[in-house]
Amino acid sequence: MTANLVNVVMSGVFHAAILFLVAAGLQVVFGVQKIFNLACGSFYALGAYTGVSAVGWYAATGGPPGLFLLPLALGGLLVGVVGLPVERGLLRFVYDRDETFQLLMTFALVLMMEDLIRMTWGTAPRSTAGYYLTYGQAHVLGATVPVYNLIVIAASLVIAAGLGWLLTRTAFGRIMRATADNREMAEALGVDMRRVYAKVFTLGTALGTLGGALVIPATAAMSEMGIELIVEAFAVVVIGGLGSMRGALVGALAVGVLRSIAISVYPELEMLLIYLIVIAVLIFRPRGLFGGAAV
Amino acid sequence: MATSRREFLKVAGGAAAAGAIGFPAVARAQARPGVPAGPVKIGVLAIRAGIAAPVGTAGLRGTEWWADRVNKAGGILGRKVELIVEEESNPKDTVERYRKLVLQDKVEVVLGGISTGVTLALGPVAEDLALPWLSWDGTTQKGVEETMPSPKWAFKSVDNEVEAIVAGMLTPKYFKGVKTIAGINNDYSYGHDCWETYQVVLKKLGMDIKPVLELFPKLGVTDFTSHIAAIQQAKPDLLMTSFWSGDATILMKQAAAVGLFKQMKGVFTTAGGVHDSLKKEFTPEGLLLGYNTMYFDDPKGSPLLKQFVREYKAKYNEYPPYECDHAYFNAESYKAAVEKAYAQTKQWPDKQQLVKALEGIEAESLSGKRSWREDHIQMCSFYQGITTHKNSYDFVTINPIEVVSTKVAMKPAGSKLLDWINGWKV
Repeated sequence: MTANLVNVVMSGVFHAAILFLVAAGLQVVFGVQKIFNLACGSFYALGAYTGVSAVGWYAATGGPPGLFLLPLALGGLLVGVVGLPVERGLLRFVYDRDETFQLLMTFALVLMMEDLIRMTWGTAPRSTAGYYLTYGQAHVLGATVPVYNLIVIAASLVIAAGLGWLLTRTAFGRIMRATADNREMAEALGVDMRRVYAKVFTLGTALGTLGGALVIPATAAMSEMGIELIVEAFAVVVIGGLGSMRGALVGALAVGVLRSIAISVYPELEMLLIYLIVIAVLIFRPRGLFGGAAV
Repeated sequence: MATSRREFLKVAGGAAAAGAIGFPAVARAQARPGVPAGPVKIGVLAIRAGIAAPVGTAGLRGTEWWADRVNKAGGILGRKVELIVEEESNPKDTVERYRKLVLQDKVEVVLGGISTGVTLALGPVAEDLALPWLSWDGTTQKGVEETMPSPKWAFKSVDNEVEAIVAGMLTPKYFKGVKTIAGINNDYSYGHDCWETYQVVLKKLGMDIKPVLELFPKLGVTDFTSHIAAIQQAKPDLLMTSFWSGDATILMKQAAAVGLFKQMKGVFTTAGGVHDSLKKEFTPEGLLLGYNTMYFDDPKGSPLLKQFVREYKAKYNEYPPYECDHAYFNAESYKAAVEKAYAQTKQWPDKQQLVKALEGIEAESLSGKRSWREDHIQMCSFYQGITTHKNSYDFVTINPIEVVSTKVAMKPAGSKLLDWINGWKV
């Protein structure tokens, strides 16, 4: 019984850990730039494929299996740099346009990225072979949990803490919060908005690509994997509150664990349960659990 | 990466040109009486995006390999083969592209179609446009029952649920004593039908089984850790799945991470579609694994299969899945039918003659002889077996290999699935 409970909760938290990274990327960008970035799921897919390639390259050079996390995470982070040309080359043209244009632009990005991924990595699912079990399994209260899952959960928590520190303890974080609060005022005080936007969008992108890279040893990369995640990330931000980091964390945990419980108890409810909560939040607390707060 | 249509046409054209210069036999062959000049235009529908893209790509590669081979040997009765490839996507758009192939490109036959959701709509259109259409993997079934029992122009793939029936036939042999079973299948017609059919077959064959859990995640899910937790909780003796794309790989990987198949037997009816992604590190021995209608490593395979596997590996660095052979057979049966009709009339067949020649024809596929049943359904053999690590690859293969013909594992023309299964003499 306890073992089952541990299995259900741990699988939910693992799912939440990945969901958090993508949702956090979504939140950072929305909070500061007021753009709802549909392409966050595509960046996640891009990170996943890059992770496969990075680990493949690492295996080919004969690196010790125990350290495969390094090229994986590094590859995931570095490919986040694509956020820069995307922001400078495309998004900056729609900042002052209607939200519909922004949504259309990021949706176009979703489609283009899917094709680019297909052109680069082909259509067959790609995976990192057996690296998932490199670190073995942990036995927690009678349940078997892959150590890798625990590493991903820990990494996600560290990143959450790091984001918290960045936002509240650094000069750049203060500028981000100021911009989120009042862009004109921040600009009037001498903040170079172009640089802030470029940096923030790249940060948001890198969170997504890192999430994709981290999840890949446990799964396989498919070109449409981002779409599935966008939908869940929506639920996360609605529950947690659009633009709120704390909301992303709590929302991801709620969605991940509830989904897991639903699958175990009454599988037909898997998605329904999450959307019932989304509807309840929209009716009773339209701004989400942590909405309205600073980023 | 997939060969693009343009690249392919270049290759095909180059091969044809080389043929014309290098082999005078080709030039002579083109002068056959009763055979029109110019290339044979063949329409091809292939899924190249989304979940089924690997399947569609494999079908296209099989067709291209066939075309290349035929052109090198002088074409069909001396006419060079030219492929016109269109995308299979949703039913509406695919129907439009089908019309374009027939009405605008004026192809002589259309090959392809994978998703039954699409081919269910294509069937009536093919009948309307009155041109032979040979489907790779798509049927005109609604659930498990046929909607077009006596088509004139449409030639359809094997019934969708055959792999589940074959797995059901083999389960009592390899997994005696199983009492409780769980199923994880995709949440659409194919997933539900396979799961239902598998259980019906087991019961008919005298297994006293009780389903303890049924999971239907939607297509495209990439995280099954929660599903696996639910399966662990239900503790079945056997887990059955009809996953056929990357989700089969993911399920296998995540199951291995918690040692799921140390606690229960596993039946993967269709995962052979992504067989070379089932790496040994995470795919245990002792599972029942289905490759559908072609097994690339068949020791009894023909020289044609061996040549195909060798060249496929050299070109794409992958080992071919069964879809290649559905496509190869379709194209080859068209060629055989044209030649058969020509032998009788000394004229290139018109479309009625072609259909008549196709009915009941037998042609050499990559997996041996296949045929079209009189009601236009493909007849072939299914390959399933028990996973083993004893091979030279980094992924699992099967040993022993069970080969089951559609003559015994597919409902006969005009019958209902359940009536047919219930009528088995066990």
